[in-house]
Amino acid sequence: MIEIKDLSVNVGDFSLIDIDLQIDDQEYFVILGPTGAGKTVLLESLAGLHRCRAGTIWMDGTDMTSVPPEQRQIGYVPQDYALFPFLTVAGNITFGLRGRLNTKDVIKKKVDTLAHLLHLSNLLDRDVRTLSGGEKQRVALARALATSPRILLLDEPLGSLDVKTAKYLRLELRRLHEELGVSTIHVTHNLIEAEEMADRMAIINMGTVEQVGVPEEVFFDPRSETVADLIGTPNILDCDRVKSIGHGLVEAECGGISIILPLHDGGIKKIALFPRDIYISASKPPGPELNRFQGVVQDIQPFSSLTRLTVKVGNNQLLAELPKDIFEEMGITIGQEVFLILKLRRLRIH
Amino acid sequence: MGFGKSQPIHVIRGERPFQAALMSALALLTLLFAGIIVSLMTYTDWDVLVATLLSPEILFAIRLSLITATISTAFAMLAAIPVAYAISHFQFPGKSIVDTILDLPIVISPIALGAALLVFFNTPAGVAIENKLIRFVFEVPGIILAQFTIVTALAIRLLKSTFDSIDPRYEQVGRTLGCTKLAAFCTVTLPLARNGLIAAAILTWARAIGEFGATVTLAGATKQKTETLPIAIFLNLATADVEKAVAVIFILIAISVVALIFLRRISSTRYPR
Repeated sequence: MIEIKDLSVNVGDFSLIDIDLQIDDQEYFVILGPTGAGKTVLLESLAGLHRCRAGTIWMDGTDMTSVPPEQRQIGYVPQDYALFPFLTVAGNITFGLRGRLNTKDVIKKKVDTLAHLLHLSNLLDRDVRTLSGGEKQRVALARALATSPRILLLDEPLGSLDVKTAKYLRLELRRLHEELGVSTIHVTHNLIEAEEMADRMAIINMGTVEQVGVPEEVFFDPRSETVADLIGTPNILDCDRVKSIGHGLVEAECGGISIILPLHDGGIKKIALFPRDIYISASKPPGPELNRFQGVVQDIQPFSSLTRLTVKVGNNQLLAELPKDIFEEMGITIGQEVFLILKLRRLRIH
Repeated sequence: MGFGKSQPIHVIRGERPFQAALMSALALLTLLFAGIIVSLMTYTDWDVLVATLLSPEILFAIRLSLITATISTAFAMLAAIPVAYAISHFQFPGKSIVDTILDLPIVISPIALGAALLVFFNTPAGVAIENKLIRFVFEVPGIILAQFTIVTALAIRLLKSTFDSIDPRYEQVGRTLGCTKLAAFCTVTLPLARNGLIAAAILTWARAIGEFGATVTLAGATKQKTETLPIAIFLNLATADVEKAVAVIFILIAISVVALIFLRRISSTRYPR
């Protein structure tokens, strides 16, 4: 378990102030915040790369605040991976195993295991400069995991990857976490990434922690305006009647509309849906009627790159967002009837 | 347009006079340097040149220059690596003053620096060093000291820009992988700086080979004793033996060309294994 108590760190003009966090064993903990919030500084402080001005960092009951990085037993994957360009893939993976009284056989076995786990077996002799972004990320992970760390620190690990690779690697990271059970702290500014990966998450802004909780808590009950601004204002629908329709699905009555959802332990009281997760169409879209509704545009608010629409559906006023150019192409006006599709997998249940 | 043919360069209107001015400056300067070399060639009788190159005096000067420049470069690099790293990575009070002092040998006249060294060896501390440790004044170690004093500043400058260009993130990752600060420096930073180190060593060595002012002031210009290649040029010109001087100039040009070829090869490859 990692306990961060009243941690304050100064780096240049930036300060982390009174950070209190607790990360449980085998937990996948995400730190979410905008650029410049202090996420990386916090991660680097945990790695021992910055001197703490005040507060303590405890790992498994040991005070690690003044322990140098090489003795903290942490695996660190920086944002740009920082693979050593003068070493091959295998050289990078074995870097942390040198001088640790490991025999050649032990090192080889470890490399083979990690290469198999991270699908790197046919890349071991490659020059790291010739790898793709996703391959580099997996090599950086293997290098960090080679020393059997107590905790894995990932700084924006998917930030520089294309959408498709990032999506695949999100699944890979979760699989790896479940297989190895290493406590992981993952820093990101990407809300979807945080929401998909986190067991629990902390929202950080301007060097302070704004809120800590499971993603549902944060989405349904943002404690401050900063958090609400960061995660965006979701549509929250109150659901009164829920009935099972088989195949692991339920039908929930939420303000006069019936929404089909996956079966959820503990019942469904509220549904949160972000404006960006509602498709709008001026004409009736083809395909099954699942989670598709008709509504009337009540208000149109233009922003710099997108347009926000308020649409009355049943008794609900739903906010939906459209990229500005698409909105202009569709020529939607106030009072017009439109069709809405709710993205089933993006619905959050409370 | 066929393959293998060079494509015409399309110049946007208004850019042609500017481009022409730049190309003229380039051509003039290249012609100036080429002209100097050609004039040397026309002045030379090649049979005399070969004979001169093989004369005991010139062979001595070549050997002495190679040995002293190599030793002074080795010392300069050993001193410059930690100093350049410290200036590049650490913040401390008076850093800009220290930086300025270390840069002085680059801008100060080499003769002035040689004279300052000569004066130092006339102080009680200098005399004690001369009498009890090693003799520098008008001796071969004086050549090495003079070269070292001049070229270390250059090595520090070159290495500082090398260390500045290395992302500290690499060293940080090294530390999280179990390296102490020293181990991270040796196993991460130095391999990353490898090309910069080699380039700095080549330039430093080439500069040491050509060093004259401080050397002649501290070590003197004694034939076949402290006679490096530049001093050989000086001595032969002083006795109007121009052919010998020209032969030595050719040797220095050849050394410089080889050094520059090495430098170009290194700068075209990153992190060679």
